[in-house]
Amino acid sequence: MSDSSSSHDSPPPPPTTTIVDDSETTVANDSDSNAKCQTAIQSLATIVTTTNIPSTISLLLDDDAVSTAILSLLLRPDSGAGDNNLCRWLYDTFQSAEPSLQLLVLRFVPLIAGLYLSRVPLRQPQAGFEAVLLALYAHETTSRAGQALTVNIPDLSHPSIYHESKGLTKNNSTCLNIAVISSTLDPHGTVRSTRRARIVGVALELYYSKISRMPRESKLNFCESCEKWAGQNGEKEQSRAVIPTLSDDSWREEENVAMGGRSERDSGRIPLPWELLQPILRILGHCLLGLKVEDREVVEAANKACQSLYLRSLHDINAKAILATGSLLRLREMALDPKNQIDHTEISNDAVISV
Amino acid sequence: MLGDQSTELSENGEDEIIRKLCANGMCMKTSEVEAKLDEGNIQEAESSLREGLSLNFEEARALLGRLEYQRGNLEGALRVFEGIDLQAAIQRLQVSAPPEKSATKKKGPREPQQSVSQHAANLVLEAIYLKAKSLQKLGRITEAARECRSVLDSVEKIFQQGIPDAQVDTKLQETVSHAVELLPALWRESGDFQEAISAYRRALLSQWNLDNDSCARIQKDFAVFLLHSGVEATPPSLASQIEGSYIPRNNVEEAILLLMILLKKFNLGKAKWDPSVIEHLTFGLSLCSQTSVLAKQLEEVMPGVFSRVERWNNLALSYSAAGQSSAAVNLLRKSLHKHEQPDDLVALLLAAKLCSEEPSLAAEGAGYAQRAINNAQGMDEHLKGVGLRMLGLCLGKQAKVPTSDFERSRLQSESLKALDGAIAFEPNNPDLIFELGVQYAEQRNLKAASRYAKEFIDATGGSVLKGWRFLALVLSAQQRFSEAEVVTDAALDETAKWDQGPLLRLKAKLKISQSNPTEAVETYRYLLALVQAQRKSFGPLRTLSQMEEDKVNEFEVWHGLAYLYSSLSHWNDVEVCLKKAGELKQYSASMLHTEGRMWEGRKEFKPAIAAFLDGLLLDGSSVPCKVAVGALLSERGKDHQPTLPVARSLLSDALRIDPTNRKAWYYLGMVHKYDGRIADATDCFQAASMLEESDPIESFSTIL
Repeated sequence: MSDSSSSHDSPPPPPTTTIVDDSETTVANDSDSNAKCQTAIQSLATIVTTTNIPSTISLLLDDDAVSTAILSLLLRPDSGAGDNNLCRWLYDTFQSAEPSLQLLVLRFVPLIAGLYLSRVPLRQPQAGFEAVLLALYAHETTSRAGQALTVNIPDLSHPSIYHESKGLTKNNSTCLNIAVISSTLDPHGTVRSTRRARIVGVALELYYSKISRMPRESKLNFCESCEKWAGQNGEKEQSRAVIPTLSDDSWREEENVAMGGRSERDSGRIPLPWELLQPILRILGHCLLGLKVEDREVVEAANKACQSLYLRSLHDINAKAILATGSLLRLREMALDPKNQIDHTEISNDAVISV
Repeated sequence: MLGDQSTELSENGEDEIIRKLCANGMCMKTSEVEAKLDEGNIQEAESSLREGLSLNFEEARALLGRLEYQRGNLEGALRVFEGIDLQAAIQRLQVSAPPEKSATKKKGPREPQQSVSQHAANLVLEAIYLKAKSLQKLGRITEAARECRSVLDSVEKIFQQGIPDAQVDTKLQETVSHAVELLPALWRESGDFQEAISAYRRALLSQWNLDNDSCARIQKDFAVFLLHSGVEATPPSLASQIEGSYIPRNNVEEAILLLMILLKKFNLGKAKWDPSVIEHLTFGLSLCSQTSVLAKQLEEVMPGVFSRVERWNNLALSYSAAGQSSAAVNLLRKSLHKHEQPDDLVALLLAAKLCSEEPSLAAEGAGYAQRAINNAQGMDEHLKGVGLRMLGLCLGKQAKVPTSDFERSRLQSESLKALDGAIAFEPNNPDLIFELGVQYAEQRNLKAASRYAKEFIDATGGSVLKGWRFLALVLSAQQRFSEAEVVTDAALDETAKWDQGPLLRLKAKLKISQSNPTEAVETYRYLLALVQAQRKSFGPLRTLSQMEEDKVNEFEVWHGLAYLYSSLSHWNDVEVCLKKAGELKQYSASMLHTEGRMWEGRKEFKPAIAAFLDGLLLDGSSVPCKVAVGALLSERGKDHQPTLPVARSLLSDALRIDPTNRKAWYYLGMVHKYDGRIADATDCFQAASMLEESDPIESFSTIL
């Protein structure tokens, strides 16, 4: 009965704010983190031999060649094993508690989670992937002290900073509706199968908290994983009628071309409990609506993932998921509508220009 | 890119629009000026303007800049604007404006003065704003944001006491509104999220005299940003609060607040309906699992926005996600009425699913499922499998409602047929595999049931607790208790301790079945420790939010222990446990049943029968109580014949509800025996002994 409380030796530091201000770190820390980065880079060079590893971590973060090399290593059938060098590197690198190195590891979370969950029914040893995911889980557990994340659903009868209310404030406390976005975290030293979805879900929550710093390829990986998890690829083709979208049909042809063999198509469907689906939907919401500059490829991929998940939630008759995925799809559809693309900050183009 | 587009646009329009420049009551055509500008001769263009329209330097420049901007000549516009020392102009205005303003406030009738000042201010501010727009279109976003911010800073400097509502110049207001709306968008585009957040808050919390529509747009944009940017905003500063007002603590709260405010504005007719707002709110509230709040919001939306069927269906989804099934079913009945949209697949499937959870609605649900199957054609054919699955579930549930034996077996076999049909559509759906397994188990086809149970565990990778429990129950029904225990232990290994309650209970029961009561008591003791620990380690939050998934139910533990002691005939212990259980849940038929067993064990038949009857009064369909009363009466019937018919009818009734209750068969056999119907008695005893060989330690229906 021992839930061994933690599997890592040095607890990671308290959570840093999303935008890490590098200039604030002191010189001493700088040299320390530099050393950590160099070690990480050197050990990566022994694993990834097909391409040159850049010499600084900031270059490494954006290096497509290295990412591609790591991706192809991860895609190997035995990549999740406990003795896998890359998994060990990812684990050690994340445990270094160096924010930029952690970002580098998080970048691969979509692929790791995707492969891991889809490979579970195949009964392959995946101790390597599990170690990485547990490290992320442990990091999140310590950084929020195991506490649940909650939201007070506002009640408009109380005045707020954004609105006034004439309604009398009769009972301040009882009106608040507390919603749990992410429940309490118990420490886990191993992946027990009934907690698997939660552990991966928390890793995805962590990924989401840094998502504005994730490269687009990482988001594309994520969208692909979602489609596999939903396992509805075969049906999306036919089910135009139920998907709440009207206009853009271009993806359908693309998919006809892209659709692989049957076995590829059928594998990968996983149970999608809410603890996993919720962070997935938040990430997809970001890819669809939260990018700072419209990136068509990411948006299209997220839209496809959303369609798959919508169909999946129809198959599961999961009302909450139907609502969430349906609204994302309709929002995407609205964004494509030219009448919603008016620039309201444009000045009127009068023929008469006067002072 | 953007620049090119707008150039094209204005060139297209150029043939039709002959632009004019007007000032001081004079007008001139732009062609001459444009020609000079095209030659790159800004000074000449400027001086011809100053002469033609008697303007000062800045006015002429501002006009030229705007002309260039409208022509789509962004680089040119920038060159023109850079020629004006905007900061100096602002400083001049700043010096002159406040006294004038205070003067107008006091004396009132000096409005011309005021409007001149606003006019001059607008000239400068518009110039800066257009500079920002030009920079934006040229892709120099950060510079654009800085310029745009300086528009707002300048407004605040020039009009330190705010712009009086009645006197504000419409052009000035337009420039201000544009700048307020543009600034956060620019910061967002530039990737400076913290600036974007403070720009949004500045726009919404300061007084810019925005019109409702542009305020609504900014609120919506900010809400979307908060929900989706993935950047956690720091809560609004304390300075901006009015006492006692609600302050959102995090992104989701702030976004939902803004969206709700927007919706309220729409409902009051203060802003134009924007369909995306309700979609954003739907997304946000579903993420928080607060769909009951969403339902309330949907109900408040003015009629005419949605079609009624759309509204009913969305409400039904919200209520069903919030666990309010009967409200959802009522709404779906309306929307699936033959005069509305009787063929809507999503509504049909949802209705079927909700009905499949409730025996009294199962027949209605089967009807919906059948309609869904009939309508799942063409592109939606893949949903036929879901329809079949729902049909199977509904029929299976319907079979539980007491009907004739014949009807029951017909429903059961049809249920199996439907589920088998569904699996042809969805061979990879673990839920379906599980349901099929349970259906087989309830019909005591244990071989098939165990095959599906194993398949389910494989398909889900053992991640679903009920799969383990199901396999253990099937094994126990096959009287393979030690294997069942192995499965239970494996499941315990895969479960975190707070979820182990049901498994431990199962384990205790398995121990009893293997005649190992001391270990069973030990298991219960551990369970109780777990309950205590759980109560200590979680604050009220945990119990509040996770009430429904609270697996270690203290009442169940005490009651289970009481039952265990009763089978060991430790009546005093039973009494203690029952008292504990009674403190947690006062009225429970199953507890009264155990109490009755206790009295029975102590040979006190009157209180025993009273307890059983109380149990029946609480829950008229409590099979254990029925059987117990029947058994007591049949025992007495040995001597007093008159009680036998009563016992017989009670036991028959119990068997109508649960035809697999072996005790009921046994006592019915006894009744027949005492009455001298030996052949009937033999049949009943045979049934009882057959059932004993396939009786699970907990009813299969407990896991669905």
